Amino acid sequence: MFVQFFGGFLLNKGVVSTDQLIDAMRKESTAHIQLGTLAMHASLMTAEQIEDIRIAQTHTDRRFGELCIDKGYLTEEQVNELLATQYPKYLLLGQILEEQGVFDQATFHKLVKEYISENSIAEEDLPLEDGETIISLVKDYCSDLDSSNKEYQLEYLQLLLNNLIRFIGSDFTLLRPVVRSTSYPTQKFAAQEITGPYQVTSILDMSEEAAIQFASRYVSEEFTTFDEYVQASMEDFLNLHNGLFNVNISNSYSVELGLQPPVSGEKDAISGGQYMYIFPALFPFGVVNLVVSEM
Amino acid sequence: MLLKDAKILIGDDSILARKQLKDILSSMGAVRFIEAVNGKETVEKYIAEKPDIIFLDIIMPIKDGITAVKEIIAEDPAAQIIIVSSVGTQQQLKSAIEAGAKDFIQKPINAEQIKAIISTKFD
Repeated sequence: MFVQFFGGFLLNKGVVSTDQLIDAMRKESTAHIQLGTLAMHASLMTAEQIEDIRIAQTHTDRRFGELCIDKGYLTEEQVNELLATQYPKYLLLGQILEEQGVFDQATFHKLVKEYISENSIAEEDLPLEDGETIISLVKDYCSDLDSSNKEYQLEYLQLLLNNLIRFIGSDFTLLRPVVRSTSYPTQKFAAQEITGPYQVTSILDMSEEAAIQFASRYVSEEFTTFDEYVQASMEDFLNLHNGLFNVNISNSYSVELGLQPPVSGEKDAISGGQYMYIFPALFPFGVVNLVVSEM
Repeated sequence: MLLKDAKILIGDDSILARKQLKDILSSMGAVRFIEAVNGKETVEKYIAEKPDIIFLDIIMPIKDGITAVKEIIAEDPAAQIIIVSSVGTQQQLKSAIEAGAKDFIQKPINAEQIKAIISTKFD
């Protein structure tokens, strides 16, 4: 799940534009991680050494690994180990951006180190993306939000990330959350009230074009126009997410929450709660906003 | 009874959920469907049509699924009602079974679960 936060980290650092990030995300499914990226990440090679090998590759048709061994940058054992090791997915996103010339190898190296250090990610956790580190990332992500029920908000957000990955796809970046105390102007939306001790209105909101792509992925069927099935897909995702949230809360805290039937609409200014928290997820097809309005 | 002869009532406010259920059941050979978009309509269509099996959501407008189960069971204690809901908490499960539902499926709708239930009730 680190990749969903890495994109946001790069945007916040101002080293990529939204368009560059979307472009790189679109290439993720067909791109392959390179040995140089893995060696850089494992601190076995410097940016200069990687560049040196790349230049050498322009004069010969030999493989990257072979040249590294020849030049003494890596042993054969290290090459085999690197190729067999699982790697965190954000490395691939960074590599694509580097290949596109958005930043150079040295900056890429520096950014990865900063990302790991800022988020206190232990090296051994990287391939596994363990639960505790993800919880810590989610906590950091919403640390500025003054929720009336922080614990439930964290559970809600963590489940949302899982459900987006599970039902829509992992190719998104979580943008900075936004807090509003006034009304929220919607585009195409589905809304559903959670009732009980954690009383919130949840809203899934996006542009018409994004909704069509969102529904196509959710149902695994190609939609081309915004119709009742697209609308129902948004409602269905929200209802499913909220239903699973209620199950988790019931299992973890023995607290029973209720759900109202989802409703749909467009271009409404939604107000109601004391605060509205907007969690935007940037997919290659557009931004999916999940708005949580606390009563 | 053969599945192709069975009258199947689907009570769900989501047109998508109704379509997904119909697609799965059609692929198994079912052809006779009745649809209802809320709990009230489900009860009314049950009384009017006497279907052989009902797939019923819980979170619905006008009348929720659990209330609909109670009213249908009061009318016909042998009614075959399968709850299909996103809220599979122990309490919801208990309420549904106590009300008279025969089974409970947690959404997202899984074809294998539907097939397993259908295979115990129809040929």
